[in-house]
Amino acid sequence: MKKKKSNLYLGDRQPLDTLGKVGLGLSYTALILWTIAILWPILQMIVSAFNGMQQEYIIMNGGFSFSFKHFEYLFTETLYPKWMFNTIFISVSTAIITLIFVSFTGFAYSRYRFKGRKASLMAIMLIQTIPSFAGLTAYFTMYSIISDVVPFFSRQMMLILIYSAGGIAGNTFILKGYLDSISMELDDAAKIDGCSNLKVYKLIILPIARPMLAIIALWSFLGPFMDYMLPKIILTSPQSYTLAAGLFTLINDKENMNEPAFAAGGLLIAVPTVLLFTVLQKQLVSGLSNGAVK
Amino acid sequence: MELKLYDHIDNAYNRKNEFLHESALIHDEIARTKDRKIRAALKTKLQELEKGKDFHQYIQKLRKYELDEKTFLDNLKKETEDFKQSLKGVNKQEEKLKLKYFIASKEVEFYKPYVDLCYDAEVKYKKAIVIFEQMKEVIDHLEFNLKELENAKKAVKNKDRAKESAGKKAAKIRKAQVEKDFKSNLLKLKQKKNEGLISVKALENEKRQLVARKKKDISIIENSSIPSKYNKELVENKTYETTKAIKQKLAVIDDNESNVIRTVPIELDKNISFYAIATCWLPGLGQYLNKQYAKMALFLLGSFFIYCLAIPYALGFGNYQADGIMSLVTLADGASKLDKSMIYMVEGIISVILILLSVSIFIISYRDVKKVTKDAIRGIRPKNWFETKRSILEEGFPYLVSLPALVVILFIIMVPLTTTILLSFTNMDPKHQSKFQWNGISNYLELATSEGMIGTVFWAILSWTLIWTIVATSFAILLGFGLALITNNDRIKGKGFFRGVFILPWAIPAFITIMFFSIMFARQGILTQILNAITGLTLDIKNNPMQTRIVIILLQGWLGSAYVFLLSTGVLQAIPADLYEAAQIDGATAWQKLARITLPIVLFQTAPLLIGQYTFNFNNFSIIYLFNGGGPFNPSVYGNLAGSTDILISYIYKLTMDNQQQAVGAAVTMIISLALMLFTFIGFKNSKAFKED
Repeated sequence: MKKKKSNLYLGDRQPLDTLGKVGLGLSYTALILWTIAILWPILQMIVSAFNGMQQEYIIMNGGFSFSFKHFEYLFTETLYPKWMFNTIFISVSTAIITLIFVSFTGFAYSRYRFKGRKASLMAIMLIQTIPSFAGLTAYFTMYSIISDVVPFFSRQMMLILIYSAGGIAGNTFILKGYLDSISMELDDAAKIDGCSNLKVYKLIILPIARPMLAIIALWSFLGPFMDYMLPKIILTSPQSYTLAAGLFTLINDKENMNEPAFAAGGLLIAVPTVLLFTVLQKQLVSGLSNGAVK
Repeated sequence: MELKLYDHIDNAYNRKNEFLHESALIHDEIARTKDRKIRAALKTKLQELEKGKDFHQYIQKLRKYELDEKTFLDNLKKETEDFKQSLKGVNKQEEKLKLKYFIASKEVEFYKPYVDLCYDAEVKYKKAIVIFEQMKEVIDHLEFNLKELENAKKAVKNKDRAKESAGKKAAKIRKAQVEKDFKSNLLKLKQKKNEGLISVKALENEKRQLVARKKKDISIIENSSIPSKYNKELVENKTYETTKAIKQKLAVIDDNESNVIRTVPIELDKNISFYAIATCWLPGLGQYLNKQYAKMALFLLGSFFIYCLAIPYALGFGNYQADGIMSLVTLADGASKLDKSMIYMVEGIISVILILLSVSIFIISYRDVKKVTKDAIRGIRPKNWFETKRSILEEGFPYLVSLPALVVILFIIMVPLTTTILLSFTNMDPKHQSKFQWNGISNYLELATSEGMIGTVFWAILSWTLIWTIVATSFAILLGFGLALITNNDRIKGKGFFRGVFILPWAIPAFITIMFFSIMFARQGILTQILNAITGLTLDIKNNPMQTRIVIILLQGWLGSAYVFLLSTGVLQAIPADLYEAAQIDGATAWQKLARITLPIVLFQTAPLLIGQYTFNFNNFSIIYLFNGGGPFNPSVYGNLAGSTDILISYIYKLTMDNQQQAVGAAVTMIISLALMLFTFIGFKNSKAFKED
């Protein structure tokens, strides 16, 4: 009556037949192949950034010797620190301005039923779909008018305005969706206790919406980091470039050509963003789907 | 004219004005009878009544009251002045309240006998009563606390060292006691924990409470026994009492006053229904006639904006270069050489927007006056400033807080957008840069009939754009979803690692990876070399249209799949396992489970975001421009402006930025924007977000 131990199947899943085993093997192959497909280019970038043997062009079989040469070049010979500063300045300003506008509009659209609400909601929806390049030609003229009237108005400020204004519509939608999911009873309780509308905003809405506001701030902050087109068009001098526009000069301009330095610069941006995205991936995605699915 | 008066919740009130009552009776009868003769008789009766108005008993009483009131008010002014003199040296706020109280006390006396005569007297009497009865307490409160505040301030200044040190000593002793109690309590708690009566978490909670209580006790001891601290707190307390507490009490009085206004109707003996039309040209005037002075000030600001800013600007005054609305017609035609059509166009649009804003102010003002007069005729009193303020802050709140956003959207988005729309109807091209003219729809015609330098390539680019959008996005979605599906299989080990790697393309800023791939796919680039070695061909990816296209589609798959992977992984993990178990029991195959359970759930939840991916790629400028600048060039198909991977948006970029073909660029932009808007409109019209609201 003894049973051999090896014959006993103890998993809570069905045992695999041959076909299943082949399938599993194929699955692993696919996953490993895709892992290689993702990691290999990234590895190339890291290697090129640290490879002292690479000259202006990244080429194969150049050998490898570890060095910080390209990073040094980046910080001494190019305007990289300046670009970094510009980008952070533009990003932070955009995030703050967007947040101020959106926290109010999202609140208003979620909590109040006012005349013209639905129509304007539809308008917001449609405005949001129009790409920001649509006003391209006018931006120049507007800039020249404003900067003539208000001399300290810089091109970067114009960019900040365009980013923030462009962000209002979509983010209002996202925040409205988020606030809609929170019961109005909190507001009503506060109002019964004598809170004015502004106090409800300050004491109830802001704390509750904080997670979503953080996500909106983060996306608005990352926008200028990721965007290449508008900085390229609106900013004219390399001094005022953002990272995206600046780094492109390293692989596109014949004079400044230095591909390993580009790899080094890209790496410096990629590391913090990868950390950020990996840690916050759930929140970042929930922000998007909340606004869209709702 | 109605027989009765009504308030805002339709309570009916009898008329007090007997003359009006009589005439209303006759009006009523006229309306009811059909007999012509009786009607004529009634009409002559009405006329007689009107004629005899000055001799009507009630009217004479009313006139007398009005005269009395005038002399009373004159006297009151003088008396108030005298009273003010006697109040010299009193705090400003207190003086104000006392004056109010004084006036109210006089008013109560004067208006009391006239309460039955007319509603105006009644409302004044009741308002005065409210103040008379409730202001006394506020004044007392204020007086008392002001005195206390002064004493406390003095005490803060004159420090008594002996008392201070004595107080400190006493506080020390009491603090020591508190500390002792705290320690013994803590010990007891720990004992309880050791005996197993409470959990670690409970211990921590209790501890926290004990610490908080100790802190509170200590601050109470310090504030009560150390004179300097005690006085400091007293000053704070009394400052609050004299400012915010008083404000609250006054708000209560205001509220009671507004109650009076709401419940005592107004009775008018003159026709004011024409106010709205007659005053619509000057916002603020109608409010003045309605005796709403603070509201008038607000609307006068609007009038200032209209008459001193918007209209002059639209007429060409104070423009940067152009001349207001007319510049939209002329587009700098005939202006000096330095003037640019573009500036004329932008300023013209700004003029139009200012005019639109003005019109909306006119409408708001007209409606406001109309509503107030209509209500007043019915019997509802116009709101006082307290009520108006409240309704602005309540009903107007959503408008007030969205106003800044509206202004920004208007000027930063709508002005450029309108400019683009208008620009697409002009002939702005390299030959007409500083001066251009209206051109009708010829740009659109050129595009539609594929004529001219730009029109011919438009359709070629459009078709590649569509192919690109559909193929690249679908590829990325399939790839991402497939990977998510495989990774989600519970037999796969190392899920965390694979998931961590697979979202990397999403986490690294796309422009970096695109540029780096662009480097690697150059003629001497690493990837090209490797591909050459494998296939044995000599690839020249960036100069071969077909190869570049394939590569950027693959690249977009690499980039876009990560996002789809992330989305579908999230959904897949949330699908309850019992669904699959039930399917299993029913004998479903793996394929059926996928097609009937997994796919519908994932698609349903991510559909809007996936649609978003299509629009994103439709406008994906970065990958096209950064990878190969839209190239390689292929003049036989795409002309001199565009390359063979250019999609519409990069084409627009090249048209406007590199080749100064702004007008055609604008036309293409318009086509894209309209298509996108239509696409989203259809998608979102049926979405939950709109149906629920």
